[in-house]
Amino acid sequence: MVVVPPVPSSFSGGTEAIALVVLLTEFAMLRAPTARSQIRLYAFQSLAVSALAVFVAATQHIDELYVLAALSFVLKVVVVPGIVLRLLRGTRADLAGSNRFGVATMVLVAIGISVFGFFVVGNLSVHSHSLPAPAFGLATAVILVAFLLVILRSDVVSQAVGFFSLENGVSMASLVIAAGIPLIVEVAFLFDLMVAVVVFGVLMRVHHGRGRTLSTEALDRLRG
Amino acid sequence: MATIELAPAQIQVLQVLTILLFAPLVSGGIAHLEARLQGRRGPRTLQPYYDLAKLFRKETLVPEDASWVFVVGPMVAFMCYLVVPMLIPVLTTFPLPLGYMGDILGGGFILALAGFAVALAAAETGGPYAQLGSSRAMTFGALIEPSILFITFTVALITTTDLPYFEAAAARSSLSQAIRPAHLLVALAFFLVVLNDTGRIPVETHASTLEFGMIDEARTLEHSGPLFALLKWGSAMKQMILYVLLVNVFVAPWGLAGSRSLGAVLLAIVALIGKALAVGAIFTVIDNSFSKLRLFKITEFMAAAFLLAILAVLVLDLGGG
Repeated sequence: MVVVPPVPSSFSGGTEAIALVVLLTEFAMLRAPTARSQIRLYAFQSLAVSALAVFVAATQHIDELYVLAALSFVLKVVVVPGIVLRLLRGTRADLAGSNRFGVATMVLVAIGISVFGFFVVGNLSVHSHSLPAPAFGLATAVILVAFLLVILRSDVVSQAVGFFSLENGVSMASLVIAAGIPLIVEVAFLFDLMVAVVVFGVLMRVHHGRGRTLSTEALDRLRG
Repeated sequence: MATIELAPAQIQVLQVLTILLFAPLVSGGIAHLEARLQGRRGPRTLQPYYDLAKLFRKETLVPEDASWVFVVGPMVAFMCYLVVPMLIPVLTTFPLPLGYMGDILGGGFILALAGFAVALAAAETGGPYAQLGSSRAMTFGALIEPSILFITFTVALITTTDLPYFEAAAARSSLSQAIRPAHLLVALAFFLVVLNDTGRIPVETHASTLEFGMIDEARTLEHSGPLFALLKWGSAMKQMILYVLLVNVFVAPWGLAGSRSLGAVLLAIVALIGKALAVGAIFTVIDNSFSKLRLFKITEFMAAAFLLAILAVLVLDLGGG
């Protein structure tokens, strides 16, 4: 009498579960009250992406991905958050006075844009045996919400963390769509990230040095 | 030894009686545990029964301007709480005759009707805090509604029905069903809904005497005597109904009676009380670990519940979940 519904395969279900954790972390960053908690969330999100790389490597038998997982763990979980936290040392710990909207509004807007991302992925009609469509949709949602994080929160750290987590979304998408792409391409993403860390590091230091604040609201006072 | 078989109708009555009789016990157990966690000795576990007995012996005082709604409201609410246990899997894995009478939305409507009756009775008093409470309860009830809808959609997408029995049966059928992402998301979302609907931290301090922070609690301030007893008993029953839904449909639909034998049903009653107390213990730990959200921040909590529920629908929509 009871119809047993189909369950996703363990590969699809596993990638989906990890991708969900990544997306929920992205939402948590959107509402995180302090810059430091945002960076800790970023480190956690990167840990989840590394775990996804290990999971894909183990289930699809692609050994290169273990190297990628190790690299991304060292860089994105340890080095980048460490550098940014170091840069923030000595700055005034801003509470989230930087929101243009309330938290509930931001989350609703982000839900709206994630739904858009999901529908786009759903209508792409990519049908593949090995492509877990939900994980791809979740990666798209991570990228879109990362954009929102950059747009809606007006402090330098949010913009940096938003950009870094955008990279997390992209590397997650590449892991689920094209797990077999050459390692050098994946590592190039990580290299991009290092450049971004330097650029955003300089931005943070200069902005804080000039304006005594991390809020971008003060940027228009820098005229002349 | 011959096993005694119960008729489905008898089990149906037992479901209602279980909720009716043991809801105060669960409330008392939770209050006791909570006091222990805070380092107090606390009331004894059976205290809610003594409270109810005392209140039923007292006289009823009605505010001068209040009409019959003031008296009827608590009774209607109490009757609603007696109807809901017929619709949900309280004791058995198999649907009972009246189980098909209403789905999750039907149960939700009846619970909402109860909340509406209590709110009307509170608004009728003219007391400012009771009115404030009923206004807030209605507002936040409306705000949590989208999450409940999307939880129902998820259940419908997974089981192609929206009967709570089928969701529980799907989760029971295999481990991969029980840990599929959509099921976990919807269980978590429903957990947050229960947290809101039972008036727990971070939404409401349920044991506070400070009227300004009250939502559900403030509604009963003007009632006294047997009517107040009905309201208190009703809120204990509502809490247990929500725990039953959380445990027997989403989180742990195990330990229910699979047959109609008397022993299995009695065992299911004991297991249910144990599970309800376990859920209560989790809520108590949350109660003691977090602080209450400011009233205007409660929407953030609602947004989180909505996010989880809508993600469950979205991943199912893409053929995953």
